Amino acid sequence: MSLSEEKIVGMAINKEYAKFTYSITNPDDVFRKPEALDDVVVLDLSYGNFAGLFASSLLAEAGAEVIRIEPPGGDIARKMSPYGIMIKDAGLPYIVEGRNKFHITLDITKEEGKEIFKKLVKKADVIIETFRPGYMASLGLGYEDLKKIKEDIIYCAISSWGHFGCEAEKHANQPSYDLTDQAKGVIMSITGEPELDPEVPQEYKKPLKSGNWMGWYVGGAFATLGITLALFYRRRTRKGQFIDCAPCEGLFSIANYLFQFYHMTGRKMIRAGNYDYAVFPYSYFKCKDGYTFISGFTDPNWSALCEIMGREDLRQMFPTIKERLTPENQPKIQHEIEKWSSSYTSDEILQIVTEYSRRPDRKGVVVTGRLEEPIDVLKREHWHIRKTFVEIDDPYYGKVLVQNSSLKGMSETPGRIKWVCRPIGADNEFIFKKYLGMGRTDLKKLKSKGVI
Amino acid sequence: MELSNSNYFEFMKNVFKSVGLFEKDEALKGVRVLDVTAVVLGPSASDMLAEFGAEVIKFEPAHGDQMRFVTPFAYFYKNMSPGLWEQQHNRYWVGMHLGHPKAKELFLEFVKRADVVIDNLTPGRMAEWGLDYSVLSKVNPRIIQLHVSGFGSWGPWTGRTSYDAIAQSMGGLSYITGFEDRGPIKSGVWIADWINGLMCALSIVIALNYRERTGKGQFIDHMQVENVIRMLDWTWLYCYLTGKNRSRSGNRDLAICPSDLFECRDGWIAIAAFTECEFEGLCKAMDRMDLFEKFRDPIERLKDENARYILSEMAKWAKEKHTEEIIRYADTYGFSASKVLEVDDVYHSDHFNERWAVQEYEDEVYGYFKEQAYAPRMSETPSRVKWGARPIGFDNEYVFVKILGLTVDEVKKLYDEKVIFKWSESIPSSCPPPDWDGKSGIKYP
Repeated sequence: MSLSEEKIVGMAINKEYAKFTYSITNPDDVFRKPEALDDVVVLDLSYGNFAGLFASSLLAEAGAEVIRIEPPGGDIARKMSPYGIMIKDAGLPYIVEGRNKFHITLDITKEEGKEIFKKLVKKADVIIETFRPGYMASLGLGYEDLKKIKEDIIYCAISSWGHFGCEAEKHANQPSYDLTDQAKGVIMSITGEPELDPEVPQEYKKPLKSGNWMGWYVGGAFATLGITLALFYRRRTRKGQFIDCAPCEGLFSIANYLFQFYHMTGRKMIRAGNYDYAVFPYSYFKCKDGYTFISGFTDPNWSALCEIMGREDLRQMFPTIKERLTPENQPKIQHEIEKWSSSYTSDEILQIVTEYSRRPDRKGVVVTGRLEEPIDVLKREHWHIRKTFVEIDDPYYGKVLVQNSSLKGMSETPGRIKWVCRPIGADNEFIFKKYLGMGRTDLKKLKSKGVI
Repeated sequence: MELSNSNYFEFMKNVFKSVGLFEKDEALKGVRVLDVTAVVLGPSASDMLAEFGAEVIKFEPAHGDQMRFVTPFAYFYKNMSPGLWEQQHNRYWVGMHLGHPKAKELFLEFVKRADVVIDNLTPGRMAEWGLDYSVLSKVNPRIIQLHVSGFGSWGPWTGRTSYDAIAQSMGGLSYITGFEDRGPIKSGVWIADWINGLMCALSIVIALNYRERTGKGQFIDHMQVENVIRMLDWTWLYCYLTGKNRSRSGNRDLAICPSDLFECRDGWIAIAAFTECEFEGLCKAMDRMDLFEKFRDPIERLKDENARYILSEMAKWAKEKHTEEIIRYADTYGFSASKVLEVDDVYHSDHFNERWAVQEYEDEVYGYFKEQAYAPRMSETPSRVKWGARPIGFDNEYVFVKILGLTVDEVKKLYDEKVIFKWSESIPSSCPPPDWDGKSGIKYP
């Protein structure tokens, strides 16, 4: 299918640029291009942990051969699914993050399982595990042990408090979860309904997690950053290393200026809801059909917004950023703007703002955008054309839709999805043959002993 | 599972801390990054590369990075905006607008000597200046060029303005965040900027790996909104299969039960326990084995009615306890429990300081500093903070003399022709601290 020029160049300031970048990142060409990490073998032992699964998804999207090692009963992560919805042996999130991975089973607590695991380690470059710290070592499969088998192994452990430090030892018996990672990650403490808005009932003034598994996804992405850095370093020095990823530290890493502001002033930020104490107005506002984002935080842009609303009095009341960044003023400004915005739909607001932006005497720039419902997102042409989602008719799981690799914009080595997921142990025959030379008879024996 | 022993933690500590932080190698040593980014979306990517050892050169226009003006409560520290500092470490500061015709030639000289170019300008702006990948790759076929913007370099919505909050809302994140009977809530931080910085840094390191194998560079196009979409776990498959929106559920995890936030006598506690064994431990701690008998099966627990019942029973139990009590139970019985940490908890925590997750250093211009360093902890090539943000053009002389080999006179000429510049007294937040001695922190001359 060839795209019309209009769809390619959209609102581009430079049409040639849009056409050129389309030609080198065309999603239809993805499978004809090489893969960046197809010389890397990853053993993913994640258990009940989507930080580990997302980490290995990213590597698999970039071409690494990821071997998921599940215990014979399957990873408990397969059962984590909204309201318990299952498609055969997998819940929805597991189907999303099963992409491109080979799925084998192995009981690494049994002697025979350990030996097989060690043989696989010899062939591997990267290990990912999410057990309680010390668990692998207690099986004789810790970093110390595996390094003896494969000196330059890259061993990535993901756990709530990490693998060293006083709290890690104290809480070593605790498993890791997204919510408890988010709770430690500081961001949750300042996310939620605004403390200083008198219209918010007291019962809602409490910390709020990100709706998605932000702890796990951010933790997983940082783990992958560490793994790919370690791979790069290993290509240059032949040295492996241990990567200790505590997802909460990933969240600290992306916590705006919270640490810096605390260091500079000794003060902490408070929950601001949809307000923002560094830029305002820059918020979601009620409108006829839901919510829409509106911003106008610099002085000229604020003047523009006030002019659009016909509220010169508001501009005079809050003339500089000092007044607009005062926490007590923000609910007032918010509610005044909502008096205006709630009589229009998000599309009407977009139209009003766009018309204003074309006026030669405009005072500044106002930006707006609808607060999309997930179902809206699935319908948008832009995402359709950019192949943000892929619909796959899987031979086992049936028709599914998942978010595509967001590494697909790499011109030489785009990320891709080859298959969505595999049943428990589906690749035993292939992987055990490919790496260990085992045939069906060997596998049958292992199965009867409960090793696979 | 067995309890691990303290020998393990001693061993691991030794793996990480047998020598000092700065005695260790840097993963990206020798990788030079030309950074044409501003605000948070782009700079967060180059910041991650910089803390893992890349040499990042930031090109800034005369009016300054917008974050020089975005600061909580309009507060400045020695003229510096904390909003700028947060994503600007270890880099070299050049004041040069790439739209200047002479700047283009200079920039291409840098490209010959560089590995990575990053921008988060309006898509096509670099092309307007004659600096898009078709040009750069001719000058240096090994170059990796990354562009990130809200909607990417092509497609119906390319060129549309995006901010963090737009990406959170256009990507569906805001809609699914918030309490069940309340409106959508955006994150307390500019999370759509940051997760994009992370994905951009990651794809650059992937591209560096590929280049190490093949010698080939490449162009990378990232869409801010798409990376938000990517991280929304089961949202899309759920909508696709059920035709329904994913609803807000406060702190309750709809795919893991129990997993929620509870109020104790002295504060908030997050509790999660999904496997049969963990749930059994929790029920023992609660002295509610009846719950375990009834809801042993994790999938059974996820059914809406069951989940609501279990969580309400837990809420009643937690209300009578102290947070520390519940954490001790979690340690003993093997489920997960955590307080909601605030910034000062982490800043002062022995644990995170010991792990170098929070680092102390002395900045040559701004003095003693302490802040977080990028995850994850790496035993051989840990991230490190060397210095913080700088006034506009602070390192002009060092960069032009050392990297391009210009003479001091030639650099002076560039100033005269207004190709390069330094901070302006009329913009206080572009300037050094008021009491700066005129020398500290200058690398050359």
